Order: sequence, then C-alpha cells, then structure tokens
Amino acid sequence: MKTHLKIFLISLLISIWGVFTIYSTRYPFNLSGQMPFFLRQIIWIIVSLFVLWLVYNWDVRKLWDLAYLIYIITLALLLMVAILGHIRLGAQRWLKILWLNFQPSELAKLSTIIILARYFSSRSIWDIKTKNFNFVKGVIFPLLLISPFIILILAQPDLGTALILIFIYISMLYLSKIKKSYILILIIIFLCSLPFAWHFLRDYQKERLLVFLKPGMDPLGAGYTVTQSKIAIGSGRLLGKGWLAGTQSQLRFLPESHTDFIFSSFAEEWGLLGSLALLGLYYLLINYFLWISQRSDESFLRLLAGGIVFLFSIQIFIYLAMNLGMAPVVGIPLIFFSYGGSSIFISFICLGIMMNIQRRIS
Amino acid sequence: MRRLPFWVNIGLLLIIFRLFYLQVIKGEELFRLSKTNAIRIFPIKASRGRIFDRNGEILVDNRLTYELAVFPQSIDDSDEVLKKISLILNIPFKDLKSSFLKNKRGILAVSLVKNLDKEKAIIIEELKDELKGVVIQNLPQRFYPYKKLASHILGYLSSIDWWRLSKWQDYGYTMDDTVGYCGIEERYDYYLKGKDGGMQWEVDNCLRLRNFLGVKLAQPGKDIKLTIDLRIQKIVEEVLKDWQGAVVMLQPYSGEVVALASYPDFSPEDFLNRSASLEKVFFDPSSPLINRAINVYPVGSVFKLVVAVAGLENKVIDLNTHVYCEGSLKIGKREFGCWNKHGSENIIAALRDSCDVFFYRLGLLLGPYKLADYALKFGLGKSTQIDLPEEKEGYVPHPLKRKTKKMRDWFDGDTANFAVGQGELLVSPLQAARLVSVFANGGRLIRPYLVQAIDGKDISAKQIKSESLAIKTEILEIVKKGMEEAVRSSQGTAHILYMPQLSVAGKTGTAQVAGKQSHAWFAGFFPVDKPRYSICVFLEHAGSSINACQVARIIIERMQKEGLL
Repeated sequence: MKTHLKIFLISLLISIWGVFTIYSTRYPFNLSGQMPFFLRQIIWIIVSLFVLWLVYNWDVRKLWDLAYLIYIITLALLLMVAILGHIRLGAQRWLKILWLNFQPSELAKLSTIIILARYFSSRSIWDIKTKNFNFVKGVIFPLLLISPFIILILAQPDLGTALILIFIYISMLYLSKIKKSYILILIIIFLCSLPFAWHFLRDYQKERLLVFLKPGMDPLGAGYTVTQSKIAIGSGRLLGKGWLAGTQSQLRFLPESHTDFIFSSFAEEWGLLGSLALLGLYYLLINYFLWISQRSDESFLRLLAGGIVFLFSIQIFIYLAMNLGMAPVVGIPLIFFSYGGSSIFISFICLGIMMNIQRRIS
Repeated sequence: MRRLPFWVNIGLLLIIFRLFYLQVIKGEELFRLSKTNAIRIFPIKASRGRIFDRNGEILVDNRLTYELAVFPQSIDDSDEVLKKISLILNIPFKDLKSSFLKNKRGILAVSLVKNLDKEKAIIIEELKDELKGVVIQNLPQRFYPYKKLASHILGYLSSIDWWRLSKWQDYGYTMDDTVGYCGIEERYDYYLKGKDGGMQWEVDNCLRLRNFLGVKLAQPGKDIKLTIDLRIQKIVEEVLKDWQGAVVMLQPYSGEVVALASYPDFSPEDFLNRSASLEKVFFDPSSPLINRAINVYPVGSVFKLVVAVAGLENKVIDLNTHVYCEGSLKIGKREFGCWNKHGSENIIAALRDSCDVFFYRLGLLLGPYKLADYALKFGLGKSTQIDLPEEKEGYVPHPLKRKTKKMRDWFDGDTANFAVGQGELLVSPLQAARLVSVFANGGRLIRPYLVQAIDGKDISAKQIKSESLAIKTEILEIVKKGMEEAVRSSQGTAHILYMPQLSVAGKTGTAQVAGKQSHAWFAGFFPVDKPRYSICVFLEHAGSSINACQVARIIIERMQKEGLL
C-alpha cells in the first residue's frame, strides 16, 4: 500500500473513532434542539475530506508564494477575534463565520510553520553556517515575525496554543540547522523569563498550574478536573467499561469531556487495550510523517513537513500528558480525535500537505 | 519503516507507563471512585427536639423552611449558576459567592440561602433545568411561639464554633452542625439534636435523578420537658421588664426551677436569620446575652441569714443576746455605719431591721474563717449544678485566699464587711434563692434543676438529691422568725410585701457598688407555714432594696390574681 494512502486511512480511522467517542460522551442527549456534537463533527470531517482532496491534488510548493498572504490573513483573523470575538467559556477564541465557529488560533499554528519554513528555506545552508545568518537574523527576526501571533493568542487568553507556537518556533530553528548554541541561549532566555511571565497570567491560569503541582490542594475546585480525568482513565482498567458505558463523562462529572478531556472518556470506555491501540495509530502516523519529512529533498518542503511532525507530536504528547495528570490543563485539541471543527479542518489540511509531499517524493 | 528518534520513543513510553499505572495498578481504586462519583447525597435534616414547660405548653417548636443549596461539583469558573440565582433572588452576587466559598466542603450540597420564601422556592424549582446543581431542601427550623420568652433558659442556635467542635467531635459533631449556645439548647444539645438522614441517588450533572439507591431516615431529636411554669414565667418577665436584673423562683423542697428570668433579654430568632439586629444584641452595653440569674454580684444583707445561723449554731449568741446600735461602730480607725439608729436589738430584731452594727459585732465574734465556712456550707462560692452551662460559681472571701493569692493581709474591717455581705463576696440570684430555700424546707440544701423529662421519660428521680445541712430546727425557726418579721412588722425592711391574705418571709439586701447605684435584692419564700415557692429578685444598680420588694410583691399579687397560689 502506498504511504500516502496509509496515513490517510490511519487519520480517517482515528477521526471515526473520535466521532464514536464524542457520541458516547454526550450520550444521553440534551434535547435542547441543538445539533448533537457528533453530527457536527461528522459534517466537519466531510468538509475537511473535501479540502484534503483539493490540497492533495494541488502543488504545496505554491505555499511558498502564498506564505505572506496566509500570514496576513491569519493576523487579520486573530485581530478580528480580539475585537469582536465571541465570548465563550470565558475566553475569546472563536470567530463566528456564517453558522460555524472558527478558531483562528488553530490556523495560526499552520501559518507559523509555513511562514518560518519559507523564511528559513529562503536562506541557503551556506548562509546559515556563516556569520551572514547570525543570531539576529537567525533567531530574533523569525521570533519578531511570529510574535504578533503569540501576543494575540496570549491575549485571548489561550496559554496552551501560545506555548505550542513557541515550541514550533524552536523546532523550526532546530530543523533549519542553525547553530545549536543559539537554540540553547534561546531556551535559557525563555526559562529565565518564566518567573516574569507568571505575573501576566490570569488567576485561573495560575490556579491551574498550581493545582497541577499539587492536585490534592482543592479536590472539588480547580483540581476537580484533573482528579476526575484520572478517575475516568483509571476506572477503565484493562478492558474498559465499554462504549456508551462510561459514567464519568456521561454523568458529566468530567467537564469538557468532548474536547479537552476526550481521551479520558475514551480510556474509560475502552480501557488500557483501547488506549494502547489508539496510541499505536498515532505512533504509526508520526512515524510515517517523519519518514516523509526526512525523505523530501526540497528545503521548503522538508521544513514544512518537519514542522507538521513536531506540531502533531507535541500536541498529542501534551494533550495525553494533560489528560493523564502529568501536565497542567491547557486548552488544546487531540488531533483528529477531539471535538472541534477548526482543529479537524487544519489537521486534515496538514495531512493533505503531507500526502502531497509524499506524492512528490515518489 | 524507520526507527523513530529517541524523543518520540521517550514520550510514548512515558504515556504508556502512566496509562499502565492509572489503569492497572490504581485501576480498582479509581474504578470504585468513579462509582461513588455519580452518587449524590440529599440530606434530610433531623428536626430538633421540642421544649415544653411543666404543663406541656410548647416553648420551642419547629417549622419547615426552604433552603437553597448548590452542589459544588456544578459550579464552574464562570459562576453562571450563582449569577442567575443572584438575579432571581435579588441577592448580591458577591455575597453568594463568598458564602459558597466559605461553606464549600466535600461533596454535599452547599447551603446558600436559608429561610427562602415559598414563592421564590417554587420559582427556583421551576427553573431547575437552567440552574444546574441547585436544589431546594426542606429544613426544619426553630420557631419560638413566645418570641423572647425564657430566652436565657432556652439559649439560641448557631453554627458550631471551633471550640465546641474540638470538644464534641467524638460525639459525632461536624463542621456543618448547628448547635445550641447557652441554656438548655447547649446543655442538652446531644439529646435535642437528632440524627440527620439522607437519600442516595445516582445523578447526572444536572442533578437529574437516575437511580434511587437508598434512604436513611432522619431521627428527630428528643423532646424536653422543663420544670418552668409558662404562666409564672410570663408574669415574672412582664414585671421585670422595667428593670435590669433577674428573678428566680424555685420549689423549695424539690429544687425545680419554676421561673428564671433575666432582663434585658434577646430574641433567639435573630440568631437563626442572622438578622441585622443581632449586632445590636452583641454590642448592647447592657449585655442582653448575659443570664443575670446565674451571674454573680455582691449580695449585701441577704448574707446576714448565713451569719445568723453561724452565730446561733456556734453558740456565740442566743435569743437573749442584745446589741446596742447607735448608728455606727468603730473598728480599728474606721467608722462602720449602719443605715439607721436601731437601739438595743436581738437577732430577730436585727434580721427584721437589717441592722448592720449587730452583724458587724457578730461577724467579729465569729471570725472570718467561720463566716467563710458557713458561706460555703450554704452553697455559695460554688456551682449549684443547675442545668445551665454558663453558670458562675461566685466567690467567698477567705483570709488565707487573700494572703496566698493577693499577698495582702485580712483586717477586722474586712470581717465586718464580710458579715453584712459587702466586700469580695459574690453570689448569684440562683444561689440566693437556694439559700433562702434552706429556711423554707427545714434545713436542706437543694440542687436546682430545669429539666423534668427527656423524651417523655421522667428524669427528676435521677437528679442529684438535696443534702441536709444538719441545722437544728430551733435555729432555723429563729432565723425564719426574723425573716417573717421583716415583712410582717411595720419596721421591717420588707414590709412593703405585707399582704393580709398571704404570709411572706424574706430578707432584703442593698449591695453597695463603688461609683454606681446599689444592687437591690430580695430573697424569700411564701406562704410561710407551707412554703411553695422561694423567690429571689435581683435588680442591678436599682438603688434601694424597696424596689426589689416591690417587684416581688407585684409578681406574687399577679400570681394570686391568676390563681396560681
């Protein structure tokens, strides 16, 4: 089987499994006239599959030309969120376009990869190795390029996505084969600035971070979510409670069980075996992605694919660690799996880019 | 397929280890937790035991009120539910939030608003689908049909404090308990409180009940029957309203307290609603929360009864001993005055006129040690063991106590002061009522009590019995004669109490207080030949003892009028 077909099937499988899980988490439906979440997810997947087909048949090298246009569009959308953002869950992250809510911060992740891939690929290896591409040009300038994204997303406030952008930025530096000492300096600066950043956090964000360090602090307050998540996962045991039988999410003890904590609901119903199977699918996907990114010889495409690999693996890891109580709770989606149109949409575009690159290689 | 870089593998291994730890190692424990998670306990509050008077009239009742409570699991960061409640009930959001944060404990519903109107309770109940996690609970609450009546006997209810919690934890009290403060409510809290029950339901987060799992019915508290006679208590409180002080009425043989009043009083209902007037109660300079009937004050001449017994028993004096009162007596370098020039008087006349000079001399003859012994013998300086928790013991001075505790000497002047009840001696109105009962019941020191029956079972047989003071009848008769004369004789200090159809015996007291008006005392019993009631009237800073006698007279007259004698 062709690799691009394999990654497509793996992703589709994960998405379908996700729909089943969303169906289960909202199982005894609120008959409030709203369209059920799983149906909306299915619609989003169908739309995304169509876009995937377009991207697959396109030439992703054209993204090089479109990079700055995409950058400006993303910036405009983020600004729009800041100005007329729709207030939901106490955070302004959504943009209502027609009848659907769109989250520009998801687009910002892909835009960051594209713009940095273009920036670094426009310099030759020679430039990077010589002083021509020094600390200012190699580190500071790309940071300034994406800092509007980070600032606007932090202002939403969406700490998780902002952190992921910084991760992407660092991994793009790594992929661009810049001097390792630059990255080291950057990481040190980043770590040193953390105590100052603390003051800019909202109270609930501080609370979440503190509760992560000590969940017993407030078992029914902020630590509630983390505790409930652990209970949900643990109570699945080896074989799980079975589909539609997870009490934690269905009885709504687990908040955000269809988005931020869908893996917990999933692990509750499918147990250790199901979780390992899902992990296996993600592992295969990352594996193939990495293989594609290493095999592409064009600088721009290699950076683009590498960025997507990092984006996927970091997001999946942080998401799982968060659900398992190993990381603070931040609002990020589980790729292909958790409910959220924007995330599904962008993930399938990324898949399309990877498939397109794969086609180019072979 | 290639080998993945090490960081992907490490990440994967971390996740797998953690999954294994949670789902296999801790799996059973977390599975059990997930089961209990879906269970909500809806408390059924036990109603507190009611309190009756001796004739079965209800003094404290219960009625159902509505309480708004919220399950803490359903309140998220956005406070949406609290905001809605604040809109509906027109209560500031801040107050709701702070009371929620304050009372949040465990998984039980947090009580937010008590004493909800019925209409508002119905509105909330109807909006239940929008107000996630809000429940209306029925809460039996104290109801006082006579408002302020007998407030000092009954006490009030409030949330448990740290001190009581640490003391009573072993008896099953928790942070959320409402307990009695002062009076019967505190002393018999263990019997009154009953046991809360609850229903277990499996619920979803909207508190829709899914499965009924079980119920534990509440056990109501035990009813308590007091020795108080509501009719007499009412009379006493109405008469006392014009003064600041206390009245105690006992049955001199049994020790049953028939009436016990202290004024200013308070309304126990204020504590239930935490109403604004509560602050006034706490900061009122006249301290309405103090039960003056069991608080201690200088007793004045009432103490002369004890000195008389001491003199007669020790054969220091007899009926023929006369002392000449010329208005004052010089002891050491100081003149100790009497309130009048009485001339030559024996013990009966001295009790009748309350002659200070006679008792100065008698006291000096007896000496301070004897005086202190007899004070203690008559139950002064120690608790009467009445079933009220805040009773004060009082103080009996003693030369050795003064020497060891205050490093000061005892002088003859102190003895003289002691003999007329001035100085450091402190006695509660209840102790004074018990003291005069000794002369009414033939020499027995009774133990006053308030509770006759708990849960229908008579406990008066279990009360501590009175003890005989082994005083010869002749001596008692002599003192009694003096008390009778004080009322009957036109010279007597309590002559105002003279009523042709009813004989009263008693002793007045005017206790001087430095810098303020004197305390007025009257302690006595009636009818003399077959005593039914002992009475002690104490009026704080009321001046002459005539006022106390006046109060006693009005009480007795009104009791007669209502056919209670």
